[in-house]
Amino acid sequence: MDFKTSHDGQQRIMNYLADSVLELSDEEILAEVRESGADPQEVANRADYALRQAADTWESENERLSELGHTINQRYWRCIDGNYHNYCVRCGLPVSFATATGEMEGGAFDGSCPENAYPVKKREA
Amino acid sequence: MTQLLSLIDTIQHLAPSQTPESPISPHPLELPLSINAALKTALVVAHESLVKLFKRFFEEDRYTVRIASNTEEGMRLYRDFGPFNVVIIDYDAPQCNGVAADYRLLQTSGRNLASDILKIEPSQGIIFAAPAYRSPGDLALPQGLVHIPVLIDITLLPLRTFLTTLEVRRAIDALTNPDKLRLMSSASYRIRGLGRAAHSKTAEDLLVEAQLKTLTGDRQWNRSVDFVRHLTEAMRSIADCWKKKEGDQETWLFTEIVKVNAEGEEISPLDNIPSSEAAADRSLIAMEEVDGIFSEFGDDMQATQVLQGTYDGLTPKQIKQKYGLNEKEYAAAKKRIRMKLSRTNRHNGGKEHGF
Repeated sequence: MDFKTSHDGQQRIMNYLADSVLELSDEEILAEVRESGADPQEVANRADYALRQAADTWESENERLSELGHTINQRYWRCIDGNYHNYCVRCGLPVSFATATGEMEGGAFDGSCPENAYPVKKREA
Repeated sequence: MTQLLSLIDTIQHLAPSQTPESPISPHPLELPLSINAALKTALVVAHESLVKLFKRFFEEDRYTVRIASNTEEGMRLYRDFGPFNVVIIDYDAPQCNGVAADYRLLQTSGRNLASDILKIEPSQGIIFAAPAYRSPGDLALPQGLVHIPVLIDITLLPLRTFLTTLEVRRAIDALTNPDKLRLMSSASYRIRGLGRAAHSKTAEDLLVEAQLKTLTGDRQWNRSVDFVRHLTEAMRSIADCWKKKEGDQETWLFTEIVKVNAEGEEISPLDNIPSSEAAADRSLIAMEEVDGIFSEFGDDMQATQVLQGTYDGLTPKQIKQKYGLNEKEYAAAKKRIRMKLSRTNRHNGGKEHGF
């Protein structure tokens, strides 16, 4: 008995269904969600909320880093066990965030970037 | 899908009054694409010193750019050619040429331009460039403009972060309800396909992970692919990764696989299977689910054939050939499978598996 095949077969069926979602018309996807017993508006709202909240968190955490004078190269994010790691390209202090929460932490949040002193001559609005 | 249309709309706004030979701005840049063929466009309203930096950045990212050196010119270009994928406004940009800004006074022309643009197109993505300020708070932006990101550190890296976030936000705004349902449905099936490897993650977790991978640049979004397709592809890749990581190492608690029969006796599907394979328990649970899926279609021969072919890893073409199904029969069987399994997606998976 080939156990692995049966397990992969189950995943193949689900992936097949996941892929074919894109082929459905608007009416068909609405009907499918209704058929599943869920409220389409509620499901759509949940997707919307999840996407916006993740973008908000990502943006606000990046703004915090920016206000502290740290500079992060987006291309240097590395994912290790679900956590993303990076560092300030100026001072080298680390920063990481967990995809589960989207919140960032690390030495870079402890204070201003020591290698990025703002010019003395700064205007204030 | 609509988020691609939003890009096309942008191009259409550019097209009517322009020919490839016509001047595109008072300060045309040497760009890799004709502005009419450009997939991404930007308006930069800034001093010359900033323009040089933005030019480099946008050339790298294959944007085409229109440039204005003052806010009046910026407004004219926006009226003629907007909306753009992004508008960058130097917060201290002068209102018009030849009039030096009085820096003893609060600078307002940049913020006024942003307000005017948002009146025309409320969803227009804007970034303020404010290199002369200490922090975004120093700009004392009014309530209607506080959502606009402020670039204090005028280097390419923060600009790239802002721009990616802005593009993703724009794509989220453009999603229709059916688009969101497609994403959730796709995520839900992927989670169900993962079985125990999902580790109680939900469809929303998978969706957010796909978006974060896009924001970090870990998953590159090719803008010629619409956002829904991009996210579904990203989710497939992430789910495969989770599955691979799970490998054959997982173990099951007895209570997770034991079932109670009609007489109230506990029975385990492992009891009758002598196997030393590490994956045996996991696969037996999967087999049970597969059996459950097939039993749903016991009286539907064509749906069973499509399921069997998919289960065996055949392509749609191979399935049709093997079972002698024509296109119409195949599509109808697939639809019946979807409709029936969407119900069990809800009932078996419950909230923890998505819907």
